[in-house]
Amino acid sequence: MTPVSSHSGWISRNFRELSVAAALLLVLGAMAAFAPAFFQPQPLLSLATREAPALLVACGMAAVIITRQIDISVGSQFSVCSVCAALLAARGWPLPAVLLAAVSLGALFGALNGMLVATLRLPSIVVTLATMVTLRQGLNLVRQGEFVNLPDRTQWFGLSQTAGQITLVTSALVGLTLLALALRHLAAGRFLYAVGSDAEAARLAGIRAQAVTFGAFVFIGALTGLAAMMNLVQSPQVQPLTGMGMELKVIAAAVVGGVAISGGRGGLWGTLAGFLLLACVAPALTHLHIEAYWEKAIQGAIILLAVVADGLRRGRKARA
Amino acid sequence: MKTPAQSHGWKSLLLRHETLLLLVLVAEWVFFYFAGTTTNRRGVVVGFGTLDRQFDILRHSCEIGLLALALTPIIITAGIDLSVGSLLGLCAILFGQLWHDAGLSVPVAIALTLVLGALGGALNAALITRLRLPTLIVTLGTYSLFRGLAEAITRGAVTYTDFPSEFLFLGQERWAGLPVQAWLFFGVAIAIWLMVHRTTLGRSFRAIGYAPEGARYAGLPVNRRIALAYILAGVICALAAIIYTARLGQAKADAGTGYELFAITAVVLGGTSIFGGSGSVHGTLLGVAAIAVLKNGLACLPAVMRLNAAEEMSGMLTGALLLLALAAGALPRFVSQWRGRRAASPSP
Repeated sequence: MTPVSSHSGWISRNFRELSVAAALLLVLGAMAAFAPAFFQPQPLLSLATREAPALLVACGMAAVIITRQIDISVGSQFSVCSVCAALLAARGWPLPAVLLAAVSLGALFGALNGMLVATLRLPSIVVTLATMVTLRQGLNLVRQGEFVNLPDRTQWFGLSQTAGQITLVTSALVGLTLLALALRHLAAGRFLYAVGSDAEAARLAGIRAQAVTFGAFVFIGALTGLAAMMNLVQSPQVQPLTGMGMELKVIAAAVVGGVAISGGRGGLWGTLAGFLLLACVAPALTHLHIEAYWEKAIQGAIILLAVVADGLRRGRKARA
Repeated sequence: MKTPAQSHGWKSLLLRHETLLLLVLVAEWVFFYFAGTTTNRRGVVVGFGTLDRQFDILRHSCEIGLLALALTPIIITAGIDLSVGSLLGLCAILFGQLWHDAGLSVPVAIALTLVLGALGGALNAALITRLRLPTLIVTLGTYSLFRGLAEAITRGAVTYTDFPSEFLFLGQERWAGLPVQAWLFFGVAIAIWLMVHRTTLGRSFRAIGYAPEGARYAGLPVNRRIALAYILAGVICALAAIIYTARLGQAKADAGTGYELFAITAVVLGGTSIFGGSGSVHGTLLGVAAIAVLKNGLACLPAVMRLNAAEEMSGMLTGALLLLALAAGALPRFVSQWRGRRAASPSP
């Protein structure tokens, strides 16, 4: 957390978020100049819809990282939630009930991680590595990679495609706004920062640090379940490999967006900027006729650049 | 960091993490030996109990084993390296390019690949030590970068094949009774074991992992030691890439995808603390062996028992085993904490 009454003011405090936003604007500007086709509404809306579920997971990841933990099992959770929800939907469950089931299942996985991390005080990276492997392989074992066909009524909640897409993107953005406000203004949100900054000090201040950590994991689990549901309504079938590699994508988004891996710093608006920047890489490459094989390398370079900039800035501050 | 209680007495030796893991490994092996070995219709013994199968297990665990060995000193210094699998892929591609496109002879290409691996490790090291960035994020970035470069170089399509038979000898033949790569693996294992357990370097790794500030005040060149661990890991990744290429006879951009997770699992299963400060190379070797035997043993079981999905089953069991090992390690502390809290709170 940064002190509220600093001389350098708002710009300096949000330097990281602002620079990522500036980079994003730069990319968008370049696209406008060299490949205006990028801004056609329909493909852009499709892109936003495709990325909307992962954005919610990125919000959850930001919350977990702010608490100085990490959850690399979200990709596997996402797959398991997707497949389970799809099976329920195929059985004829009404959509709200499926939604509830998916969110509860995600929260349950989060609770498992949270229990192991908060109660047994195990390192979160190893715990979630283990749950990631266990969930993924368990899913493969039971389903053998089988696709699940969905009934027509789940497609875009039974709306037209454009209406469904707009609903999804809007609800993701509304969700992000609410979460950002909650993180900033609700006591529960501030607890995350307090525990992430200094768990012992938070405990002495009367915050139940273990409960907060547990809560953060349940939170990301529930959001992952919700994201699985948002992904489900987009296609006529669910394949069990969806969500593979999602953990790295959302961690990268949070980190590029200024959430410090050492806990206690960052926010959801920065995460949004980082997420958009990384999500723009692939379509931008296609539109600029650069080979898409560079995507991963460029994303890696963006992550490194963001942390290097952080390191240099911190070094300059320390010398000054 | 051995405490006096740990260093003597058979009871504490029995309760050491490595000893327990060894018992698990032996139990696993005995189970698969009896459950996974069968005689086929022509009276030939097939399955887990054959020497060929044992060599096969050894052959297949060399690459992940090398990565796990590379990760052990790093995790002891309280770091992590997620980029090892990607660096393996990049090195495999670079080796293919050096040999095929640049027309270098195999030994020169191997030497250059090792140097390039060291450079990859040096990139991690520079970012971590010069800029003091968190290892998790730096190596997450290079994880993406190395794999992306491999894909970009090959445009996702080029596969290097037709390596000369002298090179394939490294990965497919036997020498003095054992698979050739096993000798390389054991050589690296012994070297790393000596470094971690018998030199001041190893001691400084532990000291850094235990308390980096304390290590600095004690006069240790903390940054140089950390950099050494990552550069060494880069070289070992390049070696693993060469063995991988020789075993499969081809170099592709997706070489070693997901290996980092198995390697980290093996290290943690082997009792090295993810918080740094303690760990052992023999533990890592046992961890690698436990995972490899589980994976191959399940594939040898009769169809009724293995549920037709040995690969998934072994993955799931590996994850569960890791959770169990972690929980078992944390339980004594948890119980004592809980008791302490009960004793401290006033009785009703």
